[in-house]
Amino acid sequence: MTLVVPSELRSERWRAEPGFGVYVHIPFCLHRCHYCDFNTYESRGELHSSYVEALVASIERSPLESPPATSVFFGGGTPTLLTTAQLAEILNAVRRRFGLEADAEVTIEANPETVSQASFEGLLEAGFNRFSLGVQSLVPKVLTGLGRTHSGERALAAVAEARRAGATDVNADLIYGSVWESDDDWRRSLEGVIDAGVEHVSAYALTIEEGTPLATLVTTGRVADVDPDVQAERHRVACSLLEEAGFERYEVSNWSRPGRACSHNVLYWSAGDYAAFGAGAHGHLAGTRWWNLRLPRDFIAAIESGVEPRSGSETLSPAERAGEALVLGLRLVSGVELAAFEARFDGALAGRAAEIDALEGLGLLERADGWMRLTERATLVANDVSCRLL
Amino acid sequence: MDPLHQRAVAVIAHIDHGKSTLSDRLLQLTGTVSDRDMREQYLDRMDLERERGITIKAAAVRMEYRAPDGETYEINLIDTPGHVDFGYEVSRSLAACDGVVLLVDAAQGIEAQTLTNLYLAVDAGLEIIPVLNKIDLPAAQPDKFAEELAALIGCDASDVLRISAKTGAGVPELLEQIVRAVPSPKGDPAAPLRALVFDSYYDSYRGVVAYLRAIDGHLDAKTPILFMAAGTEVDADEIGIMAPDAQPVERLETGAVGYLISGIKDVSQAKVGDTVTTRPRGATVPLPGYREPKPMVFAGIYPIEGDDFPILRDALDKLKLNDASLVYEPESSGALGFGFRCGFLGLLHMEIVRERLEREFDLSLIASAPSVGYEIELTDRTRRMVRNPSEMPDPSDIEEVLEPYVSAMIVTPTDYVGTVMQMCQERRGELKEMHYLSTERVEIRYQMPLAEIIFDFFDQLKSKTKGYASLDYEPAGQYSSHLVKVDVLLNQQPVDAFSTIVHRDKAYEYGKTMTERLRKLIPRQLFDVPIQAAIGSRVIARETVKAKRKDVLAKCYGGDVSRKRKLLERQKEGKRRMKQIGSVEVPQSAFIEALKLEPSGQS
Repeated sequence: MTLVVPSELRSERWRAEPGFGVYVHIPFCLHRCHYCDFNTYESRGELHSSYVEALVASIERSPLESPPATSVFFGGGTPTLLTTAQLAEILNAVRRRFGLEADAEVTIEANPETVSQASFEGLLEAGFNRFSLGVQSLVPKVLTGLGRTHSGERALAAVAEARRAGATDVNADLIYGSVWESDDDWRRSLEGVIDAGVEHVSAYALTIEEGTPLATLVTTGRVADVDPDVQAERHRVACSLLEEAGFERYEVSNWSRPGRACSHNVLYWSAGDYAAFGAGAHGHLAGTRWWNLRLPRDFIAAIESGVEPRSGSETLSPAERAGEALVLGLRLVSGVELAAFEARFDGALAGRAAEIDALEGLGLLERADGWMRLTERATLVANDVSCRLL
Repeated sequence: MDPLHQRAVAVIAHIDHGKSTLSDRLLQLTGTVSDRDMREQYLDRMDLERERGITIKAAAVRMEYRAPDGETYEINLIDTPGHVDFGYEVSRSLAACDGVVLLVDAAQGIEAQTLTNLYLAVDAGLEIIPVLNKIDLPAAQPDKFAEELAALIGCDASDVLRISAKTGAGVPELLEQIVRAVPSPKGDPAAPLRALVFDSYYDSYRGVVAYLRAIDGHLDAKTPILFMAAGTEVDADEIGIMAPDAQPVERLETGAVGYLISGIKDVSQAKVGDTVTTRPRGATVPLPGYREPKPMVFAGIYPIEGDDFPILRDALDKLKLNDASLVYEPESSGALGFGFRCGFLGLLHMEIVRERLEREFDLSLIASAPSVGYEIELTDRTRRMVRNPSEMPDPSDIEEVLEPYVSAMIVTPTDYVGTVMQMCQERRGELKEMHYLSTERVEIRYQMPLAEIIFDFFDQLKSKTKGYASLDYEPAGQYSSHLVKVDVLLNQQPVDAFSTIVHRDKAYEYGKTMTERLRKLIPRQLFDVPIQAAIGSRVIARETVKAKRKDVLAKCYGGDVSRKRKLLERQKEGKRRMKQIGSVEVPQSAFIEALKLEPSGQS
């Protein structure tokens, strides 16, 4: 498996070709969390089999010309709401249609409530080799506030089950900085997932997304808004506890043990190409991005009637594409490699020389060894830098 | 008509006390408007039509009244503007009259502005006809308010007429009283023409229409004339009377009230208070009482969109055609860009101008804190006027600062006397006079700095007296004061839009309010931003906008790159629209909010 860590990001291989990914979206959840704005729907299973059929059909019919996939990512929703057999069937379709590199990373997101040692065994058997668990917190009052219906114990048990099933790449997703969480609660959650022995931690500052139940609670004053200072402090605590435990931060919100970064996500931040299947999924190929119909029913109906399930697309101008690639690339701790970037996005850096010099002068960007990256100080105020580079 | 049968009166009344309804009844009873053509608020509707260019303004209406004694009288009803800022215009309207109808709501009693106008009428030696209106209302207390009016005018309560303009009750008696009590004009028909301009406005089709009364002599159509104060030499292209529609006439005799159209394109060439005479051999001495309009309140007016500056300039030029008292000159502000320093007669005038600029010219404007004009004596004994805090000399060069004072009159129910007095005292007011209009209502007169009134005094007065108190004020000279200029600095950089001149005792409070307000309005930057208020180099208040610690997208994956990019583009656009003060980015809204309600220090 290609495991990309900061040192390896500089490998010749990535520089030449960031790889090719396949994203598969499973838009079903048992229960929608208060903060969630993903394309997902509470489901009792009535659509699952027709959705799987449609998904497989859309993968098989894909006209995309591409090299074999270097990574596959099943996201949601809760992919593990589907049966292992269904998930295996979809992955097989991907394998048949695109082919997988021998060392391809194949991730599936899972909710602690929907997995067991047996299901992990089945998934490993089917070819999944990386599990991303939605832990979010280990503290009951925080879980309740976020609208999670599992306990912290269940989340840790799920990690242990994956481990016993033989998984070697487990990620725990955490959310920090909600109003229900104290400094201590955050430490407890971090220490809990570290002790559980995961290889990867994604820790996100809670963001109040428009249209979510949580946003309504905040705008009506029933729940306090998040405090950016508190979140900055929690990010600092995450850095310090995780680094102490041997993790390295390689992106704004992502830490891994050496060699265990998520290559599929690194592909996104490298402005790489990826195919996408399923309701609301977004794909990208050489500056053109497209996205599918959001509603599972519409997606299924489109496939059943032989129509492209696409709902929209955009083609970025070379300048937009370069700006976007720069903003994405700077999310990585390694930053962007100047020569390779300039070669790929013809003259994009030269055109921004004045801004880049100014940002360097402000201590927000640094250039060394042919790479350009955010300074440590700039990491948490990256939007300011992004605004100037877009 | 012979002068003995001519009457010229104005109705002075508070807003909503029934002036328009009374005009309707008078127009109807005298047959000036037939019952068939009658509409409610007849003259007000003409005003609306005037705005749309359909008719010209009815600043005065001529009515023919057939009295019970069989004689026919000509009654000229002259309109008066209704606000404190236009006291001078009111005085000119009154100067064109021989009597006034003092119209007071029988449920409310007299209000401060009416009282001021009443005093103007008394000073002008006019016959006063006291009238209580709305006696048909259940809440009317005619006996009580008749006593009040009688005490004010020095007549008997039984002399106060009681009418209902709505039902018409008592209006015939009022007409009779106008004919009997108001004297006929006393001008000299043989003397050269002296006509008083009591109103003028710019009509986009006809040019300036001036309303005047021939005090002495007469005016013939087509003759050459001179506006004596302005020096404007033109011909009387059209003269006429309003009855109530414009009717051209060949001659305006001594005592006649009418209009004049003479091809003038700008009201400053035909100002209110000017005297019109004939030329060459006209009058040599103008009628008394002319005054140049004197702006009292100054503020910078800026377009929110910098590109709108030329539109603002054209808009002010257009308004100026119709408003001789509006003055303006270009100014630039580091914070607000290019705009104009404007001078107004008062706060209401400022609001009217601003509202018209926004409404009629579709502009979005931001106004700096209003200020008054200060006369400054420097240590070298020279003097200068300061109308903008930025013009304030260094404290060490100042010998003395004179600030304009007003005589403020407040009419309030006795329950609120304590509250009102406290408010005035906190604003450096000095009690001059207190006069009980009745056992329940008091007229209080304070001498106080104009600057203390122009901030939020009126709003505060209304809110602290549950809306019962009314206010009026007139200039009352200028006096030496301990005034200082307070600057507000963002990251050591002074922001001109927030500088102000205040009394030394109020400086700290102003500084504290502004710095606190700005701390909440200025978004956090990448570094700490100190906000200071200072007098010269002495800092009197300080707040800090702490550096922002977190402004980063927590997540950005394949599925939301487009959305996140748009989010960042919006953020970038927001930044682009911010004003850069030194290294600090300040959103336009922060200026608007900070300047919205200028703190007077007491709020």
